[in-house]
Amino acid sequence: MEIELLSFGKIAEFITVKRLMLDGISDTDGLKKHLEDKFPQLSEMKYKLAVDKRIIQENTILQNKAIIAIMPPFSGG
Amino acid sequence: MDTERYNRQLILKGFGEVAQQKLSKAKVLVIGAGGLGCPALQYLVASGVGKIGLVDGDFVSLSNLHRQILFTTTDVGKLKVEVAAQRLSALNPEVELKIYPNFITQENALEMLAQYDFIIDGTDNFESRYLINDACVLLKRPLIFGAVSGFEGQLAIFNIEDKNGEKTNYRDLFPIQPNKGEISNCAENGVLGVLPGIIGTMMATETIKLITGIGESLVNKILNYNLLNQQFYEITITPSPARTYKLPAGKDEFLKMNYGNTLDKKHNQVLEIDIDELQNLQNQDSTLIIDVRETYEVPALNPLDYKQVPMSIFESFLNQEIEEENIILLCQHGIRSLAAAEYLHEKYGQKKNIYSLKGGIIRWKNYFTNAS
Repeated sequence: MEIELLSFGKIAEFITVKRLMLDGISDTDGLKKHLEDKFPQLSEMKYKLAVDKRIIQENTILQNKAIIAIMPPFSGG
Repeated sequence: MDTERYNRQLILKGFGEVAQQKLSKAKVLVIGAGGLGCPALQYLVASGVGKIGLVDGDFVSLSNLHRQILFTTTDVGKLKVEVAAQRLSALNPEVELKIYPNFITQENALEMLAQYDFIIDGTDNFESRYLINDACVLLKRPLIFGAVSGFEGQLAIFNIEDKNGEKTNYRDLFPIQPNKGEISNCAENGVLGVLPGIIGTMMATETIKLITGIGESLVNKILNYNLLNQQFYEITITPSPARTYKLPAGKDEFLKMNYGNTLDKKHNQVLEIDIDELQNLQNQDSTLIIDVRETYEVPALNPLDYKQVPMSIFESFLNQEIEEENIILLCQHGIRSLAAAEYLHEKYGQKKNIYSLKGGIIRWKNYFTNAS
């Protein structure tokens, strides 16, 4: 399965890949674990995932070609 | 009302006198007269909003001037709200301005916010942002949220029901306030001056739209903007499942919340621990580990080692006394467990050591699946 990744803010500095082939990962819990293993900085910070432009609140099954947005909180003003 | 002043809005099809009247009756509170607040204030005052409150305890500094465009070089060292009020009343004396030359705090927030119909968060730190969010939920005030980082901005509106009757707040996006230093701010990270100008102007735009009822508001949506490629990305915010996070239910609870600005973290906050610390505590005698996930969630843990108290019944559980000295809460991702830990912390204070497993079972899946 292939997904598209959109990273925002500080996360875009270390997750620069735009596309990801997922083997054996079928849901967002699996994806989070995969991303946090691959990019340890991610596990050190708060972030939220959106799947196909909707914030997900619970583990969500991923479809092929899903667009995943990874968004950190911003505080600056 | 001076019709000449608002002529270009009055002749605007779809706006006109009806919208102008609504503006003149609206009361808007702008918290933070900085990069976001300055442009928002200028456009709101120019448009003829009836009453505007300005909250900021800070003084103008030279490094503010590249983005905080209400101030000039000779203003350096002066109180921001005083300079701003002077400029703004020269811009439009018809607007009633009220200045609050102080920072927002738990003690002053509710009384201040209650006097306004719309709240604009133009602050620059998470302590204030979470405090304002919670106060707006408590007072049922629409919150216009804007924030910037580097070359990117976020814009959202909270606490307004959409046509499906759904309402969201900032904690539906980020339930737990980041720790100090976890996410950098403009002072540490830098920002291009135009960025808060763009986001602040959009905050004023959304406020005017909400007041007058024109167009489609960003209700339950967060708009991400990147100035490097001029791209917008809109995401729909969905409400969290019940009790994923803790919101103060009344004034007393609000005053007891810990936004991290006054209290000593080491002694007064729930500690988030990792799996090694959990293991250490697990080997100690007086430790109780509570799994707050619902019974259908997987992986299931051994109930002899992990007492299951789902969030849905946690409130009644709070009436029981816990004998153990160390209490560790855990759940799937470490979010609900933190809320549960805060409930217990409220009950026991410093009498017990209360912990939440950071990242939850998912982060430490190997540990839990091998152990149970």
